[in-house]
Amino acid sequence: MADMKCNVAVMNMHDYLDGDLSREEIIQLQQHLRDCPSCHTRYEALERTDALAKCQPIEKAPEYLSDRVMKSLPSPRRPAAWTTWVRRHPAMSAAALFIVVMLSSFVSMWNQSQEFSVSGQDLEHVVIQGKKVIVPEGQKVNGDLTVVNGDVQVLGDLEGNLTVIDGNLSPLASTAHIAGQIKTIDRAVDWVWYKVSSYFGTLAYGS
Amino acid sequence: MKPVETRLVRLALKGNQRAFAEIVDLYKDKLYHLAYRMSGNRQEAEDVVQETFLRVYRSLDRYDMNQKFSTWIYRIATNLCIDRLRKRKAVYSLDAESTDREGLDGYAMLPSDDRTPESELLLSETQRIIHEAIATLPVKYKSVMILRYLQDLSLQEISDVLDMPVTTIKTRVHRGREFLRKKLEHKL
Repeated sequence: MADMKCNVAVMNMHDYLDGDLSREEIIQLQQHLRDCPSCHTRYEALERTDALAKCQPIEKAPEYLSDRVMKSLPSPRRPAAWTTWVRRHPAMSAAALFIVVMLSSFVSMWNQSQEFSVSGQDLEHVVIQGKKVIVPEGQKVNGDLTVVNGDVQVLGDLEGNLTVIDGNLSPLASTAHIAGQIKTIDRAVDWVWYKVSSYFGTLAYGS
Repeated sequence: MKPVETRLVRLALKGNQRAFAEIVDLYKDKLYHLAYRMSGNRQEAEDVVQETFLRVYRSLDRYDMNQKFSTWIYRIATNLCIDRLRKRKAVYSLDAESTDREGLDGYAMLPSDDRTPESELLLSETQRIIHEAIATLPVKYKSVMILRYLQDLSLQEISDVLDMPVTTIKTRVHRGREFLRKKLEHKL
C-alpha cells in the first residue's frame, strides 16, 4: 500500500488534523509522506495553518457588555413575592383568604346594622314605639326576640331567648318572665362573636 | 453530573437574575469572539452578543436540557451573525456608492473602528495575517472555521450548531483549511 495516491493522501491529512483517522490509516499516511516530498511540504503547511489558527488569542468582550446585556433584559421573570409565598403555603393562604372574606362581610354587616330592627318568630304580640320594643304586660310572646339598635322593655312573658344588640334592656318588671337566656351585646367584638357563633349555628343546624 | 449551565438555566428559570448573569459571564467572551470574527466589527459584535443573550433569556424555557448548552447558544449566535452578514451584503450591493450607510458595510467600517484593544496591539504579525485570512473566508467556510478553531468545537458539535450533516462540515473544514493555507503560503 506504499503507493497511496496523492489526492487520497491530502484527504487523509485533513482527516488526521481533524482527529478522524484510524491508527492504521495514520501509518499509511506517514509512509506516503516519507516517500512523497510534495505531499510532505503540503502537510507541513496545513499543520502550520492549523496550529496558527488554533492559537489565535481570544477576543475579550468589553467590560461594560455584561451590564449592558443584563439591563437590556425584559423585566425579571421573577413572579411577585406574594405569589411565591402563596404557592409555598397553600393552607395558610386559604385560611388568610377565608379570614379576609369573613371580616369584610362582618364589616359590611356592621355598617348595615346602624338601623333599628326587630326580629323574632312572634312579632304580632310585640309593641313597637319608635325605637323601643315592648312586650306588654300579660302578653305571651313565643320564640326568640332579637332587637338591634333599640331599647327593650319586657313586661310580659317571653318564651325564648332575648338578644339586645347595641341597645338598652330596661330593668325587668316584676310581671316579666323570660324563659330563655338574656344576651346584651354592645361592643363590636361581642357582636362579631355573636355573628360567628350564629353563623356556625346556622351551618350546624341548617336553620 | 449535570453541567454547570443546566443548573444555572434551572435557577434562571425560577427567576434568579444572578444565575443568568453567570451564564452571561461564562459565554460573553466566547460569543463576542465568535461575533467579532464573523463580522469584523466591534460594534456589530456587541450587538450580536446582546441580541443572543436576549433571545436565550426569552426562550430559556424552550431549552432542551439534553442538548449541550454551548451548542444551543452558539447556534443562536451564529444564526444572528449569518443573518446580519446576509443583510449587510444585500444593502451593500443595493447602494454600493452610498457613504451614509455606515456600519452596514463591514469592510468599509473596519479601518474606522478605532477602538483597538490592547490585545490587538500585541498581536504578532503572524497572528494579524491569520486574522485577516480568516476574515476573507467566504461566509459558509468562515462560520465553520471559526467554530472549529476559535471555539475548539468538534465536527459533530459544529454540525449540531449549524444544523448540517457532519460530512458537509468535514468538507467545509477541509476546503477552509486549504483556503487558509494558500492565503498564508505567500505571506509566511
